[in-house]
Amino acid sequence: MTTLKINGKQYTLNLEPDTPLLWALRDTVNLTGTKYGCGIQQCGACTVLIGKRPVRSCGITVGEVAGKDITTIEGLSPESRHPVQKAWIAEQVPQCGYCQSGQIMAAVSLLERKPNPTDKEIDRGMLNLCRCGTYTRVRKAIHRAAEMMKEVS
Amino acid sequence: MKNTNMNRRTFLKVTTVAGGGLLVGCSFSSPKLLSTPNDVKEDLGMWVRIGKDDKITLILPTSEMGQQAHTGQAMILAEELEADWNSIRVVTAPVNPEYLNPMKVPPFDIQSTGGSDSISGFWDKLRQVGAGTRQMLTAAAAQEWGVPASECKAESGRVRHSGSGRSLSYGQLASAAARLSPPDDPVLKSPQQFRLIGKSIPKLHTPARINGTAQYGIDVRRPGMLFATVSQSPVFGGKVKSYDETAAKAVRGVEAVVPIPNGVAVVADSTWHAKQGLEALKPQFEGGESVGLDSTKVTARLRAALDEMGKAEVTAEKVLDVEYEMPYLHHAAMEPMNCTAYVTTDSCEVWVPHQVQGFCMDAAKEVTGFSEEQIRIHTMMIGGSFGRKQTKEYVEQALIISKFIQKPVQVIWSREEDTQHGTYRPVSMSRFQVGLGGDGLPVQWERQVAQPSFAAEFIPLLGWIGFDPMTIPASVHDYVFPDHFYKVEGVNMTHSPVELGVPVGAWRAPPNSINVFYTESVMDELAKLAGQEPLEYRLKFLGESPRHKAVLEQAARQAGWGNPLPEGRGRGIGINDWFPLDVDEAKTVVAQVAEVSVSKRGKLKVERVDCVVDCGLAVNPDSVRAQMEGSIIMGMSATMFEQVTLEDGRVVQSNFDDYRIARMRDIPEINVSIVKSDSAPTGTGEPGTSPIVPAITNAIFAATGKRIRRLPIGRQKLV
Repeated sequence: MTTLKINGKQYTLNLEPDTPLLWALRDTVNLTGTKYGCGIQQCGACTVLIGKRPVRSCGITVGEVAGKDITTIEGLSPESRHPVQKAWIAEQVPQCGYCQSGQIMAAVSLLERKPNPTDKEIDRGMLNLCRCGTYTRVRKAIHRAAEMMKEVS
Repeated sequence: MKNTNMNRRTFLKVTTVAGGGLLVGCSFSSPKLLSTPNDVKEDLGMWVRIGKDDKITLILPTSEMGQQAHTGQAMILAEELEADWNSIRVVTAPVNPEYLNPMKVPPFDIQSTGGSDSISGFWDKLRQVGAGTRQMLTAAAAQEWGVPASECKAESGRVRHSGSGRSLSYGQLASAAARLSPPDDPVLKSPQQFRLIGKSIPKLHTPARINGTAQYGIDVRRPGMLFATVSQSPVFGGKVKSYDETAAKAVRGVEAVVPIPNGVAVVADSTWHAKQGLEALKPQFEGGESVGLDSTKVTARLRAALDEMGKAEVTAEKVLDVEYEMPYLHHAAMEPMNCTAYVTTDSCEVWVPHQVQGFCMDAAKEVTGFSEEQIRIHTMMIGGSFGRKQTKEYVEQALIISKFIQKPVQVIWSREEDTQHGTYRPVSMSRFQVGLGGDGLPVQWERQVAQPSFAAEFIPLLGWIGFDPMTIPASVHDYVFPDHFYKVEGVNMTHSPVELGVPVGAWRAPPNSINVFYTESVMDELAKLAGQEPLEYRLKFLGESPRHKAVLEQAARQAGWGNPLPEGRGRGIGINDWFPLDVDEAKTVVAQVAEVSVSKRGKLKVERVDCVVDCGLAVNPDSVRAQMEGSIIMGMSATMFEQVTLEDGRVVQSNFDDYRIARMRDIPEINVSIVKSDSAPTGTGEPGTSPIVPAITNAIFAATGKRIRRLPIGRQKLV
């Protein structure tokens, strides 16, 4: 039995401790917004937050994150009103959208660490892959979200 | 391959929904090309549902994979319908002849999405359906009020009577409208009356794509559903030799081991357990069509084919004699191949991200032996495809497994399985021998190309007779096909299909994805040989192609072509059209200028790309812009990094660590302009992918004098 705290909710799950968090989220808890892309921490489609840290959920086990605060795309904001999500809508970032949960979680974390990131910092902080090629819009949306978050604070 | 002749008329069919509301479907008449033996089926061919609550559901005929076909198609229909955009929801259509794209002519007449014709192909039909429905709603209101229909106007989901100011919503009118006879020849709006078309309306699916609720194939969950993952022979066409079923079944959660064509599947209560089961299963394989093949042999086979065609005698003052080479490419869509199926004793349901609904239906019929009435295909949102999700094998696997275990099952390929079992963009090698006359223009243009037959994958007959028509479009050629936009004299092109036993398929913008690199590189080489400026040189061939000339010149102007650049920087240009064999007005024309920097140590960066696209009327300009941006990045990624290589008959690459694609840090500044046009819309999903390739390599030449003739650029020395 493993107890996970996901999006503020406790789940007691009958899983072996070495189960990757990704599959626990997708197949057991049924939070399918977190996506499988590579399984080797290369693409970032499965990015979630552990505390405020972006983590590739395919590469971390439920045993390692038991009891920690896990945030998935579904838990980012109740009505998709997080500034990063609003910026994503304003810039119409997604094409197919498959990688965007991971992109958004990575961007949220980047903005926590760098509230006003430069292009270089975005290059370094955003390693998620997007085959549709939405990178130019991801970059613009991060800058826009940074502006929006400044106005709020 | 496409039919742009849209003389067929549409007639509408209407029925009421239980409890009121309106269903609108339509069929083609005169000639009735799409009739079915079972006429009742046509009633299922519905496009619009209007509920009493004013909610409007549009049933859209194509798969949504990020190209925003859904948004564009909904805009076209809603425009003519005069619907309130905020009341629109959309679903993807089931399998029915009603949803065949009018541009898909034999032998490609199968319900599918591809070829960048979701908007262009359905432009007329969706307008007619929308306009006809609007007229019926208007007539219903006129009848209700006892006034002439000419005094009533439909607007934003309501019909208003000008004299009295009365109004009724579409939901209130739906039942009455459904009892009227539909118009034979709906009156379309004039472009000046468009409220939606031509505007960058936010995409319908964006909200679901930023909060995790969008339902891709991989997200399907059914009661009692199990998860499966597969191992297929790494040597193409090989067979399973052995596996350890006992070990696999000893893994917690594993429920079954199921043989599939060319491989084996492990079924479990979660994807993770299925993966662990597969690891324990340790399947071994033997045989196959690509046994012993490696990349060196592939190159040798292509060269041998070129040699067999033989070099031509070229006698001219100046002669270009060069060879070019391109690698196998993988689609590498972020969502790996997956399919969910549930086969019972008398019914079958399939949930799948797929471009070709017709193939899914075929697969279901073949595996189950059921009739179409017993089968339902649900097209899920696709997490990227680019031409990959068009094959039957992953659908068959889910069907076979579900039939075996008699439960719903979701098959997911691992990334490794996805990378090593692609339908790759063909490898290709081509020789050009071009003789120039005194004016620097070609007097003789000899070209041979050797590559696996793309067309034979779809039409085996073409493989048997050794003819691959897909080597021709987007190249300067002398076959009985429409000409290239560059008018060249003295052309002699020959091709040789080379069968290598490696699956090949459509990779975004086939055949441009190969031929545009060749054509535009050679043009650049010829300009250099002739001692002429590359843009000016190209314009000399475009006397009969005014749209191409205009687009090329606009892209050059936008990029500041000719303005001085610092040392180590250069600009290159490329142009193509889509689909190259269409009549001119049905084509999209795209030109791109790349500006690159090459450092003293040889480090390459694409700094800026300027793109001009003429796609007729841009239904949603922001969608067009996004397609150009994404295409440029995908084309750039292929140019710089991507290749699939072979060793021991199998693909070497297995995941994103060794199949490198572009990342944020690689991305240039991109500026896209759309030519203003009132012509009917043409496609934009593919034509932005190809010109960027030679634009980059031509820019490298301008910056360094180094000519890239083999892709990817990879670690080739640039200085």
